Amino acid sequence: MNRRDFIKQSGCAAMGATTMLSTLTSLGAVNGAISHKKFSEENAAFNDYRALVCVLLAGGIDSYNVLVPRGTSGADIGYNEYAATRGDLAVPQASLLALNNPQCTGFRGFNCNYGAFGIHPAMTGMRDLFNAGKLAFMANVGTLVEPITSAAQFQSGIKKVPEGIYSHSDQIMQWQTSVPQSRTALGVGGRIAELLNASNTNDKISMNISLSGKNSFQAGDTVSEYSISNNITPAAIGLESVPTWWNNAGLVNELRDAAIDSLVGQTYANLLQQTYSGITKSAIASYDIFKDAVRRVPSFATQFPTTSLGNDLSAVAKVMSVRNNLGAKRQIFFITYGGWDMHDNLEGGMNQKLPVVSNALKAFYDATVELGIADKVTTFTISDFARTVTSNGLGSDHGWGGNSMVMGGSVKGGKIYGAYPSMNLTDNTQSISFRGNFLPAVSTDELYAEMALWYGVSPADLCYVLPNLSNFYSYTPNNYPIGFMNFNGTTISTDDRPQTCLTY
Amino acid sequence: MNFPLYVFRGFLRIRQEVNLLVLIGFFGISTIGNAQKTITFGKGNATNVTVSSSSNASNQTGIKTLMSSGYLPNKNSAARLLSQATLGTTYADIESVATLGVEKWIDQQFALPNSFNLTNYLQNLHQATTDSLRRTDPSRTIYNVAVSDWIFDVTWFQGHMTAPDILRWRVALALSEIFVTSRISTFENNPYALASYYDMLLENSFTNYRTLIEKITYHPSMAVYLTYMNNHATDNNNGKLSFPDENYAREIMQLFSIGLFKLNLDGTEMKDGTGKSIPTYDNNDIANLAKVFTGLSWGDSQYLGERYKDYWSYTKKLKFYAVDSSDYYIRPYRRPNNRIVNGHEVGPKTFLGQTIPQRPVAQGELDIKDALDILANHPNTGPFISRRLIQRLVMSNPSPAYIQRVATIFNNNGSGVRGDLKAVIKAILVDPEARDCCNNGNTEFAGALKEPFIRYTNLVKGLELTAQGGKYRNAMRRAYDKMGQLPLNSPSVFNFFSPDYIPDGPLKTAVKYAPEFQTLNSQTLTGYLNAINNWLIHNDAVEYFSYFGGETYKVQEDAKFDHTADYPLTRNDRLTQLLDKYNLILAHGRLSEATLNTIKKALLGMPLNITNGVINADDATRRIRIAIYLIMSSPDYMINK
Repeated sequence: MNRRDFIKQSGCAAMGATTMLSTLTSLGAVNGAISHKKFSEENAAFNDYRALVCVLLAGGIDSYNVLVPRGTSGADIGYNEYAATRGDLAVPQASLLALNNPQCTGFRGFNCNYGAFGIHPAMTGMRDLFNAGKLAFMANVGTLVEPITSAAQFQSGIKKVPEGIYSHSDQIMQWQTSVPQSRTALGVGGRIAELLNASNTNDKISMNISLSGKNSFQAGDTVSEYSISNNITPAAIGLESVPTWWNNAGLVNELRDAAIDSLVGQTYANLLQQTYSGITKSAIASYDIFKDAVRRVPSFATQFPTTSLGNDLSAVAKVMSVRNNLGAKRQIFFITYGGWDMHDNLEGGMNQKLPVVSNALKAFYDATVELGIADKVTTFTISDFARTVTSNGLGSDHGWGGNSMVMGGSVKGGKIYGAYPSMNLTDNTQSISFRGNFLPAVSTDELYAEMALWYGVSPADLCYVLPNLSNFYSYTPNNYPIGFMNFNGTTISTDDRPQTCLTY
Repeated sequence: MNFPLYVFRGFLRIRQEVNLLVLIGFFGISTIGNAQKTITFGKGNATNVTVSSSSNASNQTGIKTLMSSGYLPNKNSAARLLSQATLGTTYADIESVATLGVEKWIDQQFALPNSFNLTNYLQNLHQATTDSLRRTDPSRTIYNVAVSDWIFDVTWFQGHMTAPDILRWRVALALSEIFVTSRISTFENNPYALASYYDMLLENSFTNYRTLIEKITYHPSMAVYLTYMNNHATDNNNGKLSFPDENYAREIMQLFSIGLFKLNLDGTEMKDGTGKSIPTYDNNDIANLAKVFTGLSWGDSQYLGERYKDYWSYTKKLKFYAVDSSDYYIRPYRRPNNRIVNGHEVGPKTFLGQTIPQRPVAQGELDIKDALDILANHPNTGPFISRRLIQRLVMSNPSPAYIQRVATIFNNNGSGVRGDLKAVIKAILVDPEARDCCNNGNTEFAGALKEPFIRYTNLVKGLELTAQGGKYRNAMRRAYDKMGQLPLNSPSVFNFFSPDYIPDGPLKTAVKYAPEFQTLNSQTLTGYLNAINNWLIHNDAVEYFSYFGGETYKVQEDAKFDHTADYPLTRNDRLTQLLDKYNLILAHGRLSEATLNTIKKALLGMPLNITNGVINADDATRRIRIAIYLIMSSPDYMINK
């Protein structure tokens, strides 16, 4: 009866092992909004549903091999410059998937250096969505405290620079907090949820749902993530019972559960014990409602790839399908898909992992179409940093500004926003190292601000969500931070909730 | 180190009778004289230890009194030491510490040889698998039988359950979470890469930091994990420019030696004039140190640039190649006109304000020695490594004074030796802050959340899981699938959790660290409780692993918990003893009255049929299992303090 052979599975980590490096900031105990000490208790009367899905490509993706200049003649010889600098890392020109008229026009004083672009040959799904106007690229976006316009200005030391640039743990955290001068900041998603969590009617399940456990993005002061596994079945939720063949198994389960409730319900002077108790209490409180909602997940026509990212995004789609059962008008999902730190075997690694990204994201977009919420869901990729455009022989090392994707029915896709840097490193005022590392043209603040306004954060509250934003942008009607979201049908919120901005 | 007896001698002469001794660390002199009837000293560090040998006899000297058994820790404090210094506690271990005393026990552990070689055990399993397959089907030609990384887990568990050098095993796990390599990498399916690296950690747990960091640097698993295997000097091959890989240069500084910011001896960050932390290095330091780690390849390579050949390549120390002669081997038809260039980067290399001198490329390996010396001798290294080790073994929030005491020993063990790991480990474990039962009254931040995996090792050791014949076959899958932790299975070089992680809630307000909480969320919490449900309640204690398809099931290697000895303790009137027993073994007696009462109440609600004085075995077993399940889900157990 007890004999089991364990068959080796590829891919490992069946469930939410911890996210790589959620790092210094918090996240934690409380799932729902237990207390709104700073914020209004009123519901923010949202009538429609909206969701943000953050896909963290942990490890620092070499995104200059995702979005690649394609021109080889005349005024646009982007590919030639790219190939000369990248050396053995260059993706062959003929294999690039062409983007139709990507209209890269530059950003805040930075030129977009090229006209013709293609994407990595393994990303046909992303090419199709881009050309269909449902996906946009942000070129050279990265962590910034304030604008830095040139390598000379960077080296002069007069501008604030993110702490620990090039360090995985710092940069992956700063991409999630958007506060690069602090090691203790909350996350962007966490701060948004603090403002808007009350708009969801059920406070047992957080607005922030993580497929990857603890993470900095969803770290809030009073609102924490609810971690789920990608196995969205009722049996996978909650505590398993004692064996059914036990006498009075039902009674024993009740005694056990009551004892656990009592153990974590005690008052503890020790703060670690308090924290453990709090996490346990809120986890237990969420089981029933989540389990009940999950029973109502419909079957999907969309086929998801059975990769870890595919499974995670499939789980997100399933949770979205029962959003009404969860009482959720606003949701923020977080997924980590790691393994991008390709100091070695860059070519093989990208060939292996980029199709996973492309196929899973494409399936997810299709699933939101199937659910009728494609224009209610905005999905975006982030990473620690981009990588050196020069080679270390077989791979590339840590860089700074890089390229991100934003996908959804409300994205003004088919366009490259931001400013793609020149791949020619000679006298390149944006490159701060002989290895080819670029000063970001666009700040993470601007990327997040645009999505936050769409999601329902009021202009007045942006300074709570993005404390450095005023260094880059201030709101005026119809003037959006970057311009990649379609605001038709969006009423810009007029709330003024926290009263004070956050400062670091 | 000698106990300062003279302090007490006089005191005992004055007092004819000492009723109660509260024992704390041997620096605990300061609390003497707290009350008329209570003095505080010794090494046992538990309250309510009674020493009754002080007598009225005029010829009785204080020294003899102090040398008496009152010095020794009681069982709770012995178990408490073991909760920090081992991966799990048996009753016999507790008695051993209680008999020997803390320092002697540590010394005895130091003296034990490294008893279990994972690579050898793994190789024998591999060979046995091959032999069995041959025997199963003699007609088949069998060579290169593949084994997966799970066989490493089986091997690790065998060592954990059988090795007597349990302090070494605790320290090695800690080192594996500081000097991280992981199977989530190129060698995901290679158990030899894991076993060989782990053996190196076991072998060097009690050596010297400088020795350890060199063994790590020259280990192929690290070289592959942090991608300096075959790392090459700056090169321009036919117009294709390439530079040394910066990965190891960065992480050896950020994670294995000095950290990102300049530290004081007590582990706090130095600040500049404007109150900001001071970076220890910048990108130029990285680029220069990257040049140092060029020219290393497999121990069985013919040339720099050769890819690895077999499992065994991962067990051989890296070899240094001054020049890159790969072209000579790859394109023999071009001989003698092959391209031969420097494999190791020549020229002076300046980093951390020091310059490694220019030397001929043939002597380039000395650059590595110099660089490791610079890192090992950096003033940050002592406090940086000390804090990490304290966090792994004892507590999440050591005081600056504690870190400083340990870092001081790191810098000089008292005999002028820097980086003596035995001295450092001992300093960590005997420190007043580690031994003090009550954290100087500051209980708010005491202790640490038990690492998920260590909860499992606690369970199997504490309940003395036994395989008939002594062979355990346990792939430990649930530990990973449900809780996300197994040795050498970290998601990245940053370990399962960050030393600086601060969870939400009261700890954030207090700005106190709790690294292990980074792994705790609604999923892993459920996963943990459900895993105990499987291991213990269903008595499915190990994840039995078949080495090959169609293998005969060996029931004796599928170990089960045996609770028969505890049956008498499940009677209503003896439940207190049952709980006391496991309170000691699993929680060194720190379960509160409220916790014990809650658990007892649940147990009393469970049926227990007694027929003719014989307790129903099923009922008894179920009470025992629920008791342990509840102990292990209680906050009193989960926070080890």
